[in-house]
Amino acid sequence: MSSHNSANDPRRPNKIHRYTPPSSTGPLEDPTPEYMNLLGMIFSMFGLMMKVKWCAWAAVYCSFISFANSRASEDAKQLLSSFMLSISAVVMTYLQNPQPMTPPW
Amino acid sequence: MAPVDDDEEEDGVVEDEDEFEHLDDEEFEGIDQDTVNLRKGKDQTPPPLEITKIPLHLRTNWDSFYLEMLMLAGLAVYFLNFIAGKTKNSKLATAWFDAHKELLHKEFSIVGDDGQSKEPTENHLLKESEHTYSLWCSGRVCCEGMLVELKLLKRQDLINTISRMLSPKSDQILIKVTMEETEMDSFVFAVAQKKVASKLLKEQTDLNFFCAEKKGIDKGNIPPSLQVLSEIGEATSAVFDKTFCAVLNRYESNIEFIHFSDQYSGPKQQDQDTPTTLPETKKVLLFCFNVGDKGRTTVEDMDGMKELLQLVIHCIDKVKRIKLTKEAKMKAEKNRQRMHESYLKQTHSQRQEAAQLRREEKRRTEKERIMNEEDPDKQRKLEERENRREMKRKQPKMKMMKVKSM
Repeated sequence: MSSHNSANDPRRPNKIHRYTPPSSTGPLEDPTPEYMNLLGMIFSMFGLMMKVKWCAWAAVYCSFISFANSRASEDAKQLLSSFMLSISAVVMTYLQNPQPMTPPW
Repeated sequence: MAPVDDDEEEDGVVEDEDEFEHLDDEEFEGIDQDTVNLRKGKDQTPPPLEITKIPLHLRTNWDSFYLEMLMLAGLAVYFLNFIAGKTKNSKLATAWFDAHKELLHKEFSIVGDDGQSKEPTENHLLKESEHTYSLWCSGRVCCEGMLVELKLLKRQDLINTISRMLSPKSDQILIKVTMEETEMDSFVFAVAQKKVASKLLKEQTDLNFFCAEKKGIDKGNIPPSLQVLSEIGEATSAVFDKTFCAVLNRYESNIEFIHFSDQYSGPKQQDQDTPTTLPETKKVLLFCFNVGDKGRTTVEDMDGMKELLQLVIHCIDKVKRIKLTKEAKMKAEKNRQRMHESYLKQTHSQRQEAAQLRREEKRRTEKERIMNEEDPDKQRKLEERENRREMKRKQPKMKMMKVKSM
């Protein structure tokens, strides 16, 4: 259809290369989601073991931040599991110790 | 009665029986009973009121949980910011795509392939994350393809939003055009904002090696805030034609960097040990544009990026037409040879070490195998291997001696 335009038309349907997702550049990429995930896990385990309330809350925040910063290629299951872990940490600490948190001031 | 009075003042302290020792049993008959009765009586009077401890959650009102409310409120704020940021980023990305769709379809045969299905698909703006979108275009003369990455700000992350209030940043569009092998002559070139230029010079392997000279560069008619890094002056002057300089002048603040290279291998891998193979190089044209005004990007700003995309297309065609003179080609060839040699030198000692390690490991595994075998077999193998090794060790020396004698 554009045969008479082919001299000016830069498109070449025969020269198509398929999209290959670039291999992850490793340390160059923003490591925030991984760090936050790890930190969230550590906080929730600490909060559960030591029954420290603010640790459990910090874990919820960390897992939320990790979720917000995550890449689409990352496993949603891991994010969900860390989120559930942090929420369970909060619930467990409150069941064991129903008093409200006391501010440090 | 005095002792009893004292005790009442002391708030119900239980008395020791020792206190009544000085009172004779004979004198006071039945005193023990009395004291016991008195004591009982005292106990019956109500002790100071002690409020029994009822568990807190039964008696409190919600006010005492104000820290928890704060936490929940914080989470709610974060969530709202997430939704708002995600929608804004999505809007900006689709706005960019809509504004540039026509132009891209004119230039490329396939716009927006997602690489998933068997047949090339169209119009897929891929979402890498909530703040990164990418688009792959292919099917054009002289280039393999063009990857456009919209690196938007992390509006979905509240912490990032707050830190941006302190140090504003811009949304960026990174365009990477992979040229075909035959369509680009060998030269390395970059033009960038001054700070970015020094950073690139340090980080990028090819710029670091080829563009170290800062003198004698014909800057042409480009704005003063941009710095030029160039390997072959001829190629640089060829790139700086009228259109290029005009666009650069008009969109001075939008240009983060423009980097053309036939030896592009990405940033230096500083934390790894020097790899034993030369990094793979590609012929690429990289363009990084800032959108909008330090974070306050609007949909209209995306419209305004069309001219810059046209610049990209113009550059693709221009680079194809750049043909270096013989001299320039020789210079380029020499530089590349130099790079290859320096690389070999760096890795030489490491390759030797690696080879030695391999040899040692082989010997160790052989020895282990020998040890595991039974006695007569072991002895035979030991002897065989020792003979072989001695032969190997002797042979090269003998060869060397032969050459020398001749």
